[in-house]
Amino acid sequence: MYSGALLGVISRIVQQPEVAEDLLQETFIKIWNSADSYDSSKGRLFTWMINVARNMAIDKLRSKDFRNANKNQDIENNVDFIDSQKKITFNADTLGLRDMVTALKPEFNDVLNMVYFKGYTHVEAAEELNLPLGTVKTRIRMAIMELRKHFN
Amino acid sequence: MEESKAYIETGILELYVLGQLNAREQLEVEAMAIKFPEVSKEINAIEIAMEQYALSHAIEPTAGLEKQIFEEITATPVDQPPVAPTDNIVPLYPDNSSSTIRTLRFALVACIALLVISAAALYSAHTKLNLANQQIASLSTDREKFAATVSYIKDENKDLQEIAAISSDPTWTPVKLAGTKISPQANMMVYWHKKGQHVMVDNTKMALPENDASHQYQLWAMVNGKPVDLGVFDAQTQPKKLLLAMKEVGNAQAFAVTLEKRGGSVNPTMEKMVALGAVSI
Repeated sequence: MYSGALLGVISRIVQQPEVAEDLLQETFIKIWNSADSYDSSKGRLFTWMINVARNMAIDKLRSKDFRNANKNQDIENNVDFIDSQKKITFNADTLGLRDMVTALKPEFNDVLNMVYFKGYTHVEAAEELNLPLGTVKTRIRMAIMELRKHFN
Repeated sequence: MEESKAYIETGILELYVLGQLNAREQLEVEAMAIKFPEVSKEINAIEIAMEQYALSHAIEPTAGLEKQIFEEITATPVDQPPVAPTDNIVPLYPDNSSSTIRTLRFALVACIALLVISAAALYSAHTKLNLANQQIASLSTDREKFAATVSYIKDENKDLQEIAAISSDPTWTPVKLAGTKISPQANMMVYWHKKGQHVMVDNTKMALPENDASHQYQLWAMVNGKPVDLGVFDAQTQPKKLLLAMKEVGNAQAFAVTLEKRGGSVNPTMEKMVALGAVSI
C-alpha cells in the first residue's frame, strides 16, 4: 500500500520510471535503517516515510550524476522528455480524482503540487510563480483545506 | 484557545507537514503541538489528508519490485547501525587535542634527540678536557724539568765564569795538587786568594777516586808545618757544583788532601794522604 504512494511521489519528482523504482528501493532501505530516528510524537509514520521519499528524490534530482545523465538524453526521446518536464503526469487510475481536485481553484492546486509532487520549496514556488510568499502559504493552506473536505 | 487558533491559521502547520520548515521552526511547531492539543489534532488531520492525496496518486511498482525490496531489506543485518548519530554532532569548540598531542609528540622526539646530541657533545668535551688536563700536567712537569735544568746550567755557567775569572786573575794563586804514593793517578786544583783568604776547590779539574758513603776527602792547609782543617768534600763523577768554597786560610805553604771518615777528622791521617801540592810563590 505504502510503496505505491511513495513511488507516486518519487515518480513525479524524478520522472524516469527506472530511476524512480531504484529510488523507491533506496528509500525503503533508508527507512528501514533509520527507523530509530522516527519519533511518533512528532507525526504519523506515513507522513515521515513520504518526507523521506521526497527528500531522497530531490537529492537525486539535484545530484551531479543525475544531472549529467539527463544531459545525455537520446535525441529521439526529446519530445517525451520535454513533455514530461513540462507537466505533471498523472496515473490514469486517478483521473477521476484529478478532475475532482482540479475542480478546485486550479491556482491553489498548482502551488500544492509544486511543493508536494515536484520537489520545490515553497520559497522556490513563490519565485517561480512570481507570487508573494504569504500568498503561496495561503494557497497551500486553502488547497489542503479542500482536500480535507474531500477526503473526510 | 485564541492563540492556538491564530497559530493554525498562519498556515505554518501545512508547511510543517510538507517538510518545508527549517530546524528552528520545526522545534517551534513541535513545542506548540505539545502545548495545545488543537494544534496536534490539526497536524494529524493535515497529515491524513496529504496521505490520502498521495495514495490517490499512487503508482503501482513493477511486479516483483516489492518482493525484491523486501528481500533487500531483510538481507540487510538488522543490527547494522544506522547512520551514526554522532555524525551530525559538530563540536561547538573545535577539538584540537589530537593535533596538540601530535605536536607534543614531535616536541618530545625533538627533545630526546637534543638530549642525546647534548650528551654526546658533553662526553666528547669531557674526553677532550681530560686529554688537555693530562697534556697540561705533562707540560708543566716538562717545564719544571726545563726550569731545573736551566737553573742548573745557569749555576754551572756562573761557576765556569768564576773559574775563568779566577784563573785569569793574578791575585788568585792556583795550586796544583799531585798524587802521592798510595794514589799516583790523583790530582786536583785548588785556588787560593791570599789576601781575601778564600780557598776554592775546582771540581772540573779533580781526578780523585770516588769516595764511598762512610768516607770523605778532607782538605788541609800546611801553615808553618802544621795541618789546618779546611773542610771536607766528595769526589763525584757528576758534581753538583763546579766550584766549592772551603774554609778560609790566610797563610799556607802547601795544601794536602786526605781520605777521612765522613764529616772529617781533627788531625789528618797521614797514611791516607792522596794528594799534595806546595804553593809556588
